Amino acid sequence: MNVAGPVRSRQSSHTTSSYDAKNKRADGGSSSSSGVDMYLDVPSFELSLDEFEEFALARLKVLRKIEEMKARNLLPDLYRSQLDAAIKSNLRSNDRIDVASHFILRAAYCRNEDLRRWFLTQECHLFRHRLESLSSRGPGNRGSGNGNGNNHDELRDFLIRNDFDLDRVSAIEKERLRDKLLCVPGTNPVEFNVTEYYRVPFVQALELVGRRECHVSDGNAYVPLARIVSIVAAKFRSSLSRSLASAGVMFRQVVSRDEKTRIGPLLTSMNSQYTGPGGGGTGTAYGIDGEGTLTAANVDDMAARSMPLCMKQLHRGLQRDHKLKHQGRLQYGLFLKGAGMTLEEHTLYFQREFTRIMTGEQFNKQYAYSIRHTHGKEGKRASYTPYNCTRIILGNPPQSGAEHHGCPFRHYDDASLSALLGQLKIGNTVDRDAIMAHKRDGNFQLACSRHFEAVHPGAIALEGVSLDGVGNHPNAWFSASVSYYNAKSKKGGGAMTDGGGMTVVKAEEGV
Amino acid sequence: MGAPDDEYDNDEECEFAEEVSSTPSAVVKSCNNDAYCARRDAPMSSSKSSSVDPSSSSSVVFSPELLGVYYSRLFPYDLLYSWLSYDPSSIVVNNGKVVTPSKASSSSSSSSSPSSSLTFPRREFSMTIEPSPGQEVYIRYQSFTSRDELCSAVTRRRPTKIDIGAVFNHPPKDNKSLPSGRLQTVERELVFDIDLTDYDAVRNCGCGGADICKKCWTYMGMAMEVIDAGLRLDFGFVHVAWFYSGRRGVHCWVCDDGARKLSNEARSAVASYFEVGYTSRPASASISRYLGMHCVPLFPSFRAHHVNLGSDKNKGMHLSSPLHPALSRAHEILEPHFVDRVLPEDGHGLLATRASWTKLLLTLPKAAHPVASKLEERWRSTKDRSTPREKWIELKSELASFVGGGPARGGGGPAKAPKNMSSIDRTRIEMWPVETVFQQTYPRLDINVSKMQNHLLKSPFCVHPKTGRVCVPIDSNDFATFDPFAVPTLARLIRELDEYEAKSGDGDAGVVHDWQKTSLRGPFECFQKKFLVPLLNDERRALKEERERRAAVIGDF
Ligand SMILES: [Zn+2]
Repeated sequence: MNVAGPVRSRQSSHTTSSYDAKNKRADGGSSSSSGVDMYLDVPSFELSLDEFEEFALARLKVLRKIEEMKARNLLPDLYRSQLDAAIKSNLRSNDRIDVASHFILRAAYCRNEDLRRWFLTQECHLFRHRLESLSSRGPGNRGSGNGNGNNHDELRDFLIRNDFDLDRVSAIEKERLRDKLLCVPGTNPVEFNVTEYYRVPFVQALELVGRRECHVSDGNAYVPLARIVSIVAAKFRSSLSRSLASAGVMFRQVVSRDEKTRIGPLLTSMNSQYTGPGGGGTGTAYGIDGEGTLTAANVDDMAARSMPLCMKQLHRGLQRDHKLKHQGRLQYGLFLKGAGMTLEEHTLYFQREFTRIMTGEQFNKQYAYSIRHTHGKEGKRASYTPYNCTRIILGNPPQSGAEHHGCPFRHYDDASLSALLGQLKIGNTVDRDAIMAHKRDGNFQLACSRHFEAVHPGAIALEGVSLDGVGNHPNAWFSASVSYYNAKSKKGGGAMTDGGGMTVVKAEEGV
Repeated sequence: MGAPDDEYDNDEECEFAEEVSSTPSAVVKSCNNDAYCARRDAPMSSSKSSSVDPSSSSSVVFSPELLGVYYSRLFPYDLLYSWLSYDPSSIVVNNGKVVTPSKASSSSSSSSSPSSSLTFPRREFSMTIEPSPGQEVYIRYQSFTSRDELCSAVTRRRPTKIDIGAVFNHPPKDNKSLPSGRLQTVERELVFDIDLTDYDAVRNCGCGGADICKKCWTYMGMAMEVIDAGLRLDFGFVHVAWFYSGRRGVHCWVCDDGARKLSNEARSAVASYFEVGYTSRPASASISRYLGMHCVPLFPSFRAHHVNLGSDKNKGMHLSSPLHPALSRAHEILEPHFVDRVLPEDGHGLLATRASWTKLLLTLPKAAHPVASKLEERWRSTKDRSTPREKWIELKSELASFVGGGPARGGGGPAKAPKNMSSIDRTRIEMWPVETVFQQTYPRLDINVSKMQNHLLKSPFCVHPKTGRVCVPIDSNDFATFDPFAVPTLARLIRELDEYEAKSGDGDAGVVHDWQKTSLRGPFECFQKKFLVPLLNDERRALKEERERRAAVIGDF
């Protein structure tokens, strides 16, 4: 490119560069029709913070679905159809979503070995699934063939776009090579006639070459279609694995340097994002066992016992003012939904409070709709996801007095928070000092975790209590608390006394 | 380049210090392996291998003085430089005759390619020198900017051995001044090392270790034929050069552009492609196990004999059925040699004596026991006059009819396999003749040499200090006929040089190089004509295409 000379590029200058990049992505983007993408080029489009998170969560749902289905060892057909459905509902809403979400999660999951491995595993399953869908419906394959060869053209296009240099072996040549191809270990003579072969430079099929599991001639490996998929999948895996490893190094620098930017914290908390019941996800996160756990009837008790400080404040605000401002309704409502409160109970609860200061008609007119909306029953019927800590911390601060949303550890000043802790009798003075120290250091999520420790002594030693995500997501905090009390009641309510020694797992650094 | 003479006193330059045990200095080693990076076997003792060639054992074949003459007058610097520089302008073909351009013109004209793109200055050479008799000092990370620099370093140092390594991203001689880890390999020919020491178990000629004879050398010819065919036909390589290693093996250098740029992973894959014997299926038992089970009860009269089977590298080999096309081809190449050169008495005698055929029959799968008994009885008879070749054919046809093929040859009626024979047994019996051929003759590669870009391998055209023989190129037409004992020794070359000059003075028009005055002329000119010229023609073509491509990009035709 640089041979073309500086003159031309100077003329066009930088105004077109981002445009070019966008366009290139839009029509050259390899996910355009097939949905299969090697994700070799980093996209360059702009996303809003909301889209950023929405896209990422959409992909997270698909990846968690894969993990869950693999764990359940589903039958191949069921696995394929369910995964197709998950892809359709999550990764097709927007033509940028697939590529964008992959790179967002890649950035979020590159931080340590465990996250990288998890992401790599699920992404490879997803990739393979898409590639197989692309190659399985062609004329050469029995059973599911619908007679058109488009899928092969798509596979071919995909392979060409991604520098897989290969030719389909013509019927004549295949016949000419028949004896040799049949002598390759693993070749099924019965299926030979319906097997399609491709010719690839041998360096693209090293594993097969090294094991003599393909015919090699004149520098080319002759590989049946089924094994092309594994060649491509292997290449995808190794390139993603390499990218993740190098991104991991860069991530630490970027996030620690740009702590104040909004992206860093969003990324660090991504893996603990809630995609549970309310979000229509798989429920592998911090959901509560089934719906109905949280009801209009028990919400006051549960709030006092098991809600994190931010939700406690919203609960108290609603109790006191009998109404909540928009942002509070969203933050609290989505939390309640995520904690298992049904639409009916949610409506009942808010109706009970709101109608203390307004008529039922007013409530129905002004607020019922938005509650249904929260549950995805109105409007775009999108599933809204409960906010995680990062989102709450980064959101707009509450206006004093009338608004109760936000994160108390982040948005309250020292005196107000200290007073609140004393008023709610959270822990002892040692606990409260520790919480205040975290707050003053800007470690709001550690402060929140410390709150959990203070009021759930011995939680870490209790069986069946998962502290994953405490300090990263209000719903995680809540469900950990619920399971804590469940576990304690099973143990006969024996009090644990060594609460001081508990540490919260996976406290994120730098946030 | 002004390298100080004392640089090899630095310990860091010897990475093989761990191989040294008997000598006081860390940089001294006594190992004469051709490709020692991979070798961890004990160094040869010089006494054991001193009389390799009976015909020349009486005279001195090698001495530092003879080596000095060789390096100053006979060593083909031009050939080595033209080859390793991959620079088409380093060679000029005139009326079918190859002439190297004069030094002045070659150094002044950088016409065809900018010198920075030349790989020669970034090529690692290493040298083994003997500052005093019995001492060996090994110097790594040498590199030379030109043919002349290489020439002067070699003539000055008189290395007993020169190794060639990879092309690096920087001249390796700068390695000390580069931050550690900065020096990285960029490219390297794909190389193979085949050595008769790996054949000890199938050498029934009496040779062992470094010794060789014409009988066991036949294995080298077969190996070259199989590997060469695979490299050319399967991998599509064209520029494949073979060299005698000077003693008991051969080296192969694959020099195609694509081969030079292969990753280590790809090298491993190619090497594994050629390797058999390590993939025995756990489900089926190995040949040696059958051997163990049968040995004592079946033939009590059997006495130990030096026929070796099943105790070495290719042991327990199980080939999948049907044979992979590459192995089918290898079998087609090897079986005739096996019949001609391994089976007979003047070969390795595999079917020549009762003891040997008994031993071979013992390696049959257990299920083929009836065939073994029948043949053993028939061949034992004094009436039997069949040759080893006939026995092999008979054995194969008996096995074929045993598992359900056509009628067996000869009297007594064919032994018939039981109807309920398992398909595994059937396959093992069917594959036995192939596996036997492979076990005896299939190439035994030292694949570690091939796997890594930065593995050093002895330079062609060197002289082996123990034999005094030159590492000459081997033409692909001569695989079967190449005779290592006909390779000239240093002493003979110096004699030839003297004789030539006494006879004809300096007047022969066709003679440009002194090596043309000796018996090196044949192999060297063959190398030039059949390897070097086609190689550089390809390089020239590639350069031209690259220039046109760049011109097209600039729009500057
Ligand atoms: Zn021998």
